Amino acid sequence: MLDIRRISTNRWWHKKNSWIFFGVFLFLVFVRISKGSLYKDFYYFLSKPFWPGQFQKEIILNSVEQESLIEVDLLKKDNIRLREILSLQEVQNNDDISAAVISRKTGSWWRQIILNKGSRDGVVIGSTVVGPGGLLGRVQNTSLFTSSVRLLTSPESKLGVWVDRIQINGLLVGSGDDHPNLIIYSKDADIKVGDFVSSSPASTLLPPNIPIGIVKSVGEPFQAKKMAKVLLLAKPHVIDWVQILK
Amino acid sequence: MNKFFKKRLSLINFIFIPIIFLWHPNWLGFLGIQPYWPLFWLLPWSMINGSINGIIFGFFIGLILDSLTLDSNFTQIPGLILCGFWFGRIKMHSDLLLGHFRYGLICAFGSFLCGTLYFLQILFNNFSDNNFLMFIPSAQNVLAEVFLTGLLAPLICSQLLRLFIFFMGDKHYKKFL
Repeated sequence: MLDIRRISTNRWWHKKNSWIFFGVFLFLVFVRISKGSLYKDFYYFLSKPFWPGQFQKEIILNSVEQESLIEVDLLKKDNIRLREILSLQEVQNNDDISAAVISRKTGSWWRQIILNKGSRDGVVIGSTVVGPGGLLGRVQNTSLFTSSVRLLTSPESKLGVWVDRIQINGLLVGSGDDHPNLIIYSKDADIKVGDFVSSSPASTLLPPNIPIGIVKSVGEPFQAKKMAKVLLLAKPHVIDWVQILK
Repeated sequence: MNKFFKKRLSLINFIFIPIIFLWHPNWLGFLGIQPYWPLFWLLPWSMINGSINGIIFGFFIGLILDSLTLDSNFTQIPGLILCGFWFGRIKMHSDLLLGHFRYGLICAFGSFLCGTLYFLQILFNNFSDNNFLMFIPSAQNVLAEVFLTGLLAPLICSQLLRLFIFFMGDKHYKKFL
């Protein structure tokens, strides 16, 4: 009688260690294919308590702020230099006059504010008046101690403006309510809600690039022109102090 | 000196109309709109002094207020002249309570007249622009102004009228005090 040979215990797949080794091998292959993402994620949780804290965040934010201030300063200088080359109107920020609002008519037929600085302080007719947020209007009349400013919302106010996104000039006309109309003399102008409106770089009445407002709604094209309502950034009914640009 | 001021109290009050027009107190406003202040003075003045005086002083107030506002194309004078003329035709009433409400109604109508005339000027001026969007805020202006003027007139006009009559010393009007 032949002995039955017990070969089963000798095969490699019957050995536990072989399977462990195979498992480890598969895992390493997976790690290789996934480019160590599992390790990185594991490291993410492991290193979380040791991350740079709030303090470092503040330092970085400060640096970023300083960096952007310097950048703005450089850009301003660059802008002035280029404007000189192109002989466009210059921006002058050195001789602004601060003035308080002493009378305010912002809700009825007459949309005007009266400031406490007049011709005695060097305010001249046609000066631009800006408040926190942007352009408010232009000085229309001066007395010795006061100056009257026609607001952008006045039905008699008409100003050339610039829509930066679509690089087009338009006319901002007061409509007697709080949102002046922006008229663009082009039927195909791609003006959209949210577009930023500033003073026109080609304007002879205003210094360039003063923020004015944001397009609030756009009307249907009518007689080769498009009309939009503009939400002003500077709020004349709450502003108490303004700057008169010479 | 004191007598001089008392005799001319109504004219001294006249000086304060442009000041209150400029002051534009926000807490007294409704939807950012103020009552039409000149009518509060013009009504008692015209009722006492008649239509001719009403027209003249309506014109004067209009001139002053136009000089204070920047809108060079529009004027408040026609409305105020019409109101001055109309107020001068109104007879005084001895019934005090009824008088109060009459002033309210008259001033509200006067303010409607002035507001509409002003609005018509704006409308004609912008007629070529086809800008009918302007119609909505203007109607709101007129209505809010009418409401506020009518609300405050019984308080202010009757007091001013009593004051003017009292200090003028005219015996003919004393019975209305």
